[in-house]
This record gives sequence, structure tokens and C-alpha cells, in this order.
Amino acid sequence: MASGAFYALLALGLSVIFGMLRVVNFAHGSMYMLGAFATYYGATLFHLPFFAALIIAPIAVGLFGVLLETTLLRRLYGLDPIYNLLLTFALVLVIEDLMRLIAGPLGSPYATPPALDGLTNLGFTLYPTYKLFVIVVSVAACAVAWWVVERTPIGARIRAATENPVLVRALGIDVKRLVTVTFGAGIALAALAGVLAAPTTNVQPTMGDSVIIYTFAIVVIGGLGSIVGSILAGFALGLLQTLGAVVFPPISTTLIFIVMVIVIVFRPAGLFGKPETSG
Amino acid sequence: MTRRATVFALVLGALGLVLPWLVYPVLAIDLVCFALFAVSLDLLFGFVGLLSFGQALFWGGGGYLTAIVLARTHVDASIAILIGVVYALVLAAIVGAIAVRRAGIYFAMITLGVAQIQYFSAFQLTSITGGENGLNLGSRGNLFGLGMEDDHVFYYVALVLIALGVWFAMRIVGSPFGGVLQAMRENEQRTIALGYRVNRYKLVVFVIAGGLAGFAGALYAIGNHLAGLEMVDWHTSGAVVMMTVLGGIGTIVGPIVGAGVFESLEYFVSKTPIGEETNLVMGFVFALCVLLFRRGIVGSFLVPRAGRVKH
Amino acid sequence: MRPSRAIPAALALALLSSSVAAPPARAADSGPIKIALITDMSGVYASLAGPGAVAATNMAVEDFGGKVLGRQIVVDVVDHRNQGPLAAEKAREEFDGGADLALDMTNSGTALAVAAVAKEKHKLAIVTGAATAALTGANCNKYTYHYAYDTYALAHSTGANIAAAGGKTWYGIVPNYAFGTQMLADFTEAVKSKGGSFIHADLMPLGTTDFSSYMIAAKNAHPDVLGLLNAGADTVNSMKAAKQFGLDKQMKIAVGLLFLSDVDALPEVFAGSRITTSWYWDEDKAARAWADRYAKRMNGLRPTDIQAADYSATWQWLSAVKATGTTDADTIVKYLDGRQFNDFYAHAGEWRARDHRVLHDMYVVDVLPQSEVKLPHAWFKIVQVIPPSRAFRPESQSTCNKDW
Repeated sequence: MASGAFYALLALGLSVIFGMLRVVNFAHGSMYMLGAFATYYGATLFHLPFFAALIIAPIAVGLFGVLLETTLLRRLYGLDPIYNLLLTFALVLVIEDLMRLIAGPLGSPYATPPALDGLTNLGFTLYPTYKLFVIVVSVAACAVAWWVVERTPIGARIRAATENPVLVRALGIDVKRLVTVTFGAGIALAALAGVLAAPTTNVQPTMGDSVIIYTFAIVVIGGLGSIVGSILAGFALGLLQTLGAVVFPPISTTLIFIVMVIVIVFRPAGLFGKPETSG
Repeated sequence: MTRRATVFALVLGALGLVLPWLVYPVLAIDLVCFALFAVSLDLLFGFVGLLSFGQALFWGGGGYLTAIVLARTHVDASIAILIGVVYALVLAAIVGAIAVRRAGIYFAMITLGVAQIQYFSAFQLTSITGGENGLNLGSRGNLFGLGMEDDHVFYYVALVLIALGVWFAMRIVGSPFGGVLQAMRENEQRTIALGYRVNRYKLVVFVIAGGLAGFAGALYAIGNHLAGLEMVDWHTSGAVVMMTVLGGIGTIVGPIVGAGVFESLEYFVSKTPIGEETNLVMGFVFALCVLLFRRGIVGSFLVPRAGRVKH
Repeated sequence: MRPSRAIPAALALALLSSSVAAPPARAADSGPIKIALITDMSGVYASLAGPGAVAATNMAVEDFGGKVLGRQIVVDVVDHRNQGPLAAEKAREEFDGGADLALDMTNSGTALAVAAVAKEKHKLAIVTGAATAALTGANCNKYTYHYAYDTYALAHSTGANIAAAGGKTWYGIVPNYAFGTQMLADFTEAVKSKGGSFIHADLMPLGTTDFSSYMIAAKNAHPDVLGLLNAGADTVNSMKAAKQFGLDKQMKIAVGLLFLSDVDALPEVFAGSRITTSWYWDEDKAARAWADRYAKRMNGLRPTDIQAADYSATWQWLSAVKATGTTDADTIVKYLDGRQFNDFYAHAGEWRARDHRVLHDMYVVDVLPQSEVKLPHAWFKIVQVIPPSRAFRPESQSTCNKDW
């Protein structure tokens, strides 16, 4: 369930970005990794407490995302979106290697905040408090994102721009800025997942590597561009993976991909995606 | 063929003949294997517009199957390669049947996902694949009854086989079949309206590309005496995309140049003081290529402006 | 030119070009003697071998006088980037370029790949970095020695030590790939030999980073010992989770494979665990003296057992070259097989002829909490010295199908 919380945040960010920019952001895992490192360096260099990092790290990494969008990704918007996929793939190599130079290949541990350490009695079982916290934060962030997109004026513009950028521009809305903001927000969600991951794992440069491929599969299952689909698929597959690890461990690594293939065969647009052919 | 292209092909051919005397012979073997691997990707990406981000599925699958057969039996390497290629073809037919129905990003994601299934299987089926230890071959065995232990001998045999593979790819592109692909690439709806079953064409190309990648992977595994997880890793799928784009998509020749440049760049960067930052350098070069030279080396410098490449 | 190279189609061109740009010629017997140090210079194993291994190997060469048989000794550093194919290719290139010894190889994939090349080229490989016992078992060959440790020795030192001291019930946390399942098999056997057993072992899917649910299950199972039969990042993450849920206060924690450099990086994470090492820099006077010299070159860092093993293996090999008057691998193997030796690294050392396992004492150690550490980097306390006869797989049980 807790791993589902990470997947949901990552898939949500990836999906929002795809919906708006038609870009599959290969560097999403790297942003997750940067979120974790921002937390770690925030603590070691500036004594930034975990709860502050929860806000500041996503903003910092989100701004970095904005920088990437305005200086690099924007140059390729007129072309086949595959080129932006390739560009973000190149960014993965560069960002990971740079972090390895800065932080070393082994990485560093980040302590679980004392307030969230230990176990909580849920009545039927003892559950790690920190994992509960992760689930709560993730659900809250997903709910906020959904609410912003579906129920606010800016969300309406985002949805409109996704459907028909030309029309929205004609209405005098600055699509460029909307794209930039959306991209930054999607990155911030990935970074938030990274912040939440920092105490559970060793913070290291390649931590985004395995996560990103799973996230891709989840987004495809949920339906590229579908917010609700990404969130639900994220949680469901996290749960499925955990169950798989208990029932039959060898399959748990491949389960998500097997589900993905099945979904594509029977529902090509994903479980919640609108049937469409562009991509 | 323009005169410039003829000269270029001759230079490339001559280079192929003398390569193992210019660089370390096993590196030369790698170069030509990756060249065909990249050509297989170009068939898909450059001529049908489908970007496979899981081409290592076939390269590694062919390599592993060949290595498994050679490690367990004493058959001629040609049989082992054949089994590897058949495995790649069957795999491509199954995956292709699902994948070609989707385009663009979806297609990339599907191929990537299926490749991961094979990756994890190779990792965990340790009794067959050796898991993270890889599968080491004591020798290359015989190919068509000929001893292959000498690196130069194997190189030239591989060169001939790979040249055949490239020739086959060029024939397809240049045939009426290739003409349909061209039409599909330019206007898929119109091609459908003309009565062509577009998905069937895509599937055929996908299977051919898978077979060629499996063939290249089989030769690579024999050349290096091993199949390892690196061969099925998604980073390898990414690397071959980089080679193809770097060389120039939709040109067949470009990916060959791209594979050569990529592999030698990696090789020589690794010998310099920044050798540990190979990924950084490669990523930077590739980012520049995508941002500024999307037609790649061959597309930008050799093919005249009226290139057919859509980008 | 050998006749097999005469491929008709290429001959003319090839001959032409080879006279222009000749391939690197095989070093003549008057050229330098070359050692290829094939290691991880930048990845996850760089701190347990890597630049430190380069320093240690160079120290051995310098201490030897920089020359043997009147020829210069050079060390070629090769970064294998933890990729088997790359390691094999580089090893092949090194051997063809005149190298007579391949050394280090920090993971099983690279070690097995280089071992296969050594066999093919009839050149010597001495593996110090890798754990897989297959090097002296299913994949043994005439030209490969396994020098420092292996999964069998780790299990039969740590496992037997704890079981003999009363740790009878074990709970295993095992990564689900070749290394993990081999460790589990070896530990199960070792623990059983002292009357203990595994009550349960959880197989971790690849890429597991969150170990908390496994730790809760382990805690509820109330074993005497928690066996973390993993390595690298998995060990860090699982150890961290074990401490988070207080398992270290409730049971003994055994870690399958851990190096001094890991503890250097994360002292508080590993404190309290029990492990096995093939050597410890503070084990005796000779070890300390060498480690002091190493520290001078390496900004005060202390060497890992792998780095010490690289020095020792280099020195022993150079001595063999000197004694036999040749670098010919067949002659060296004949000279080394069965030979007993002692140096600051290997106590009661022997080059076992049967399977090319190099035997020596192993050390079961506890990782001390920072408060009990008196000198920088002195993280270990030796609990038991395991003699080679007990640490390594007995000759009678060898699975090596010796064909030389």
C-alpha cells in the first residue's frame, strides 16, 4: 500500500505532464531522486527538518523543472513528442551521473523523523507509523491535484489547453505559461514522492532508475493523461505488488508489466483513458 | 544513388574491412553487431515511425538463447544462432501483434514493459541464465564447421553475416513494400483508404526488425563469449536509440555510423581522465543531437537537404 | 601471420592496412611486465576496491622494487563498470596487449567473465573482489585463483560462529537472485552443522527498498538471529529498517557480506551487526604497519580486505615470477599449486591445488557502535578467528570438475 502511495504520486505527475505537453518525461525518476537528495542535503547542510523539506524540496525541484521546460523542452514542442522523450532520456544520463559525482555512488541514509518512528496499532495489525504518514500525505496530495484540475478555474484552463491549445490561446490565455506551471507542478509531485521515500530507503543516484519504468507501466494501465486513472492504478498496483511478493515473490517484479500487457490488449487506452489514437 | 552516397558507402565498406586492424578486434566485433542492432531499430523508427524502447528484448533474447544452446550442447554455432533468431522472431510476432495497434508513446511504453518482463526473468531464472553472473561460454565453438576462436576470423565472418543483414534491410526499404511504408509514414489515413492493411505492414516490419536485432545479439554473444543481463537491460534499449538518432534516422547507413561513433566514443572516453563520466558525456552529446542535429550525422552532413526524414 | 587469419576477401586490404596501423603488438619478453587491475572505479564497489585497489597494487609493485626478471612492472587500471561483457572484453584486450595477470574483479558477473577469458587465453586471473563460490566450483579452471573470500566462507564463519554460540533459530532476509539464493543455501548448511536452523526466509523481489513489513514479520517470529543475506544497498536498507523496528535489541543480526568501506560510509547503520571479513587492518602489528602506509597514500583512509588482498596477491604473484623466471601461466600455476605462504594478509595461506581456492584465516567480527571506537576507522572487534580448514569448503566436498 505504501509503495502504491509513491507510484500514485509519480504516475499522477507523469500523467499531468503528458496530458498538457504530450511529453512522456523519462527524467521523472531523476526528479524523484533529486527530491530525496534535496531532503538529505537540506538536512545536512541547512538543518532543514523533514516537515519543512516536505514543502521546500518539491518547490525547489519543481523550479528546476521549470528551468528545464523553459530552456530545453520548449524548443521541441513543434515536433513529434518522441523527440522530447529522447531529450528527457538524455537528461536522465546527465542528471544521474552528476549526482553520482556530487554524492558518490553509494548514497546516504536519511533518518526517519522521530515523531513518525515506530508502530501504530490499527486494531487488526501493527503498522509502521511512517508508512501510514506516507499514505496520508500521498492521498492528500492526489486529492488536491485532482481538485485543482477538476474544480478550479486554472484547472479548467489546463483541461481546455489539453484539448485545444489554439482555441485557448485565442481566448487570450497564455498557454506557454500554463504549460510551464503544469510541468513544474508535475515535477514537484515526483519530488514529493522522493522526499517521502528518503527515510525509507538509502538516498542514492540510481534510486529513480527502477521506479520510472514501473511508473510508465502504471500510467499506461491507468490511461495516459488520466488523473484519476493514474492515482487509482498507482495504489492498486502497489498493493498488487506487495501481495505478489508475499504469495509468489518471483512474479512480483513482473506482475505490473503483465497487467499492463493485458490491459493494452483489452483496453488499449488504459482503464480510465479516453480512447484516442494520438500519443 | 548519388555520387556522394556511393563514395560514402565505399568508404564505409573499406572501413569495415580494415576495422579489426585499426581497433581492438573484439571492439570491432561489437561495433558491427551494434551497427545491425541499430539498423533494426531504424527500420522501425525511421521507416514506420514506431520508436521501440525495448529493442533489447530481441537483441538480448537472441543473445541469451544462442548462449544457452552453446553452453549446453555441442552443436554448430549456426544452429545456436538460428535458434536465437527464431526465438526473437516468435517473440516479435507476439509482442508486435499487441504493440503495432498503438502508436507513438504507447508503442514505446509497451515495448519497454515487455522487455522488462524478459529482464526480470533472466535475472531470476538463474539455473538457465546464470542470473546476475551471466552465462559464460568456454569458446565460440565452430560456425559452419569453421573454428571461431581467432578474433579476426570471427570478425570477418560476422562482418559478412551482418552485411547480409544490412543488405536485407536496404532491400526491404527499397522494395515496393518499402514504398508502402513510406506512404504510411507520410499519410497513414490515406494509405488505409487505398486499401492497405497498415497494421499488417507494421507487424511485418516489427518482426523483421526483431529478427535482425536477435541475429545481431546472437553474434554479439558469441563474439564476447557470454550473455549477460546488460544485454536485456533497458539502458541497452536506450543506447541503441541513441546510436540510431545520432547517426540519422531513416537512412539505414546513419545508424551504422551512429553505432560506430557511439561505441568508439564510449571506448575512448573510458580511456581518458574523465573515463568515469562516460554517461555524462554521452548524455550531453545526445541531448545536443536531439536539440540541434535531429537528422543525425549522416542526415545533416551527407544526405542533401531534401531528406526524406520527417522531423 | 597465422594461416587462420587469411580470409580471402579481406586479405589484400587487411595486409595493406596492418602495415600502416599495426595492432598493438604482443609485448616482447623484454618489454614491461603488465598487471591488469580490473576493478570498479566509479560504481557502487569503487570504495571497497577501486582507487584503493590501485594504490594497494602499486604499493606492492613499488615494494617489490618496481622490477622483476630485469623488466619494469606496470599496472594497467581498467574500469569494468560492473558489466560482465565489458570486463571480458577489456580482459581480452589486456591479455592480448601483453598483460600476464588480471586482478581484483569486484563482482561475480565480471569475475566469472574474466575467469573464462583467462582460461581461453592461458593467462592468470586472481579474483579478490567477487563472492561467488562457482569460481572454485562449477566454473573452476586452471588459470583462475579465488583469493579473498566466497559465499561458503562467509556462511561457515558467521553462520557457524553464531549458531555455535546459541543462535539456533534464524530468520532470513534474502534477495531473490543468484547471490542471495547461494548465500541462503550456504548459511542453511552452516547453521545446521551447529544444530540450528532457519525458521523462515523471505525472498526479496529485486529492487525492494522498503523492508518494513518484512521486519515486522521477523520481529513477530522471535528468532535468535536475523540473517541479512544480502549486499550493498539492500543491506543498508534492510539494516536500517531492522533498527527502526528495534530488532537489533531483540536478536542478533548477522550480515552476509559487508566491507569496512560500507561501515565507513554508514557507521551508525551497521553498528551491532556481526559479519565475516578475510582481513582486518587492526588485526595485528603487521596489518597495522601496512595499513598505516596505505593510509598515508589515501588521505587517512584504512584499507578494506579486498585492497589488502590485492597487495598480497600481487606480491605473491611477483614472487612466483621471480622464482620461476617466467610469467608463463602454466609454469606459475605449477609453482603455486599446493604452495603454502604467510604474509600480513594471509595467515596460514595455501594455494589449494584441487580447485584453486586460496586458503587463509577468516575473521568473524562485530561492528562496534561509534562510542566504542577508539581510533578512526577501527570499526571492527574480532570475535573469532576461523582457521582455513573450517572456513573454506573442504577439498573432499569440492564440486570443481578438475580438468587440468
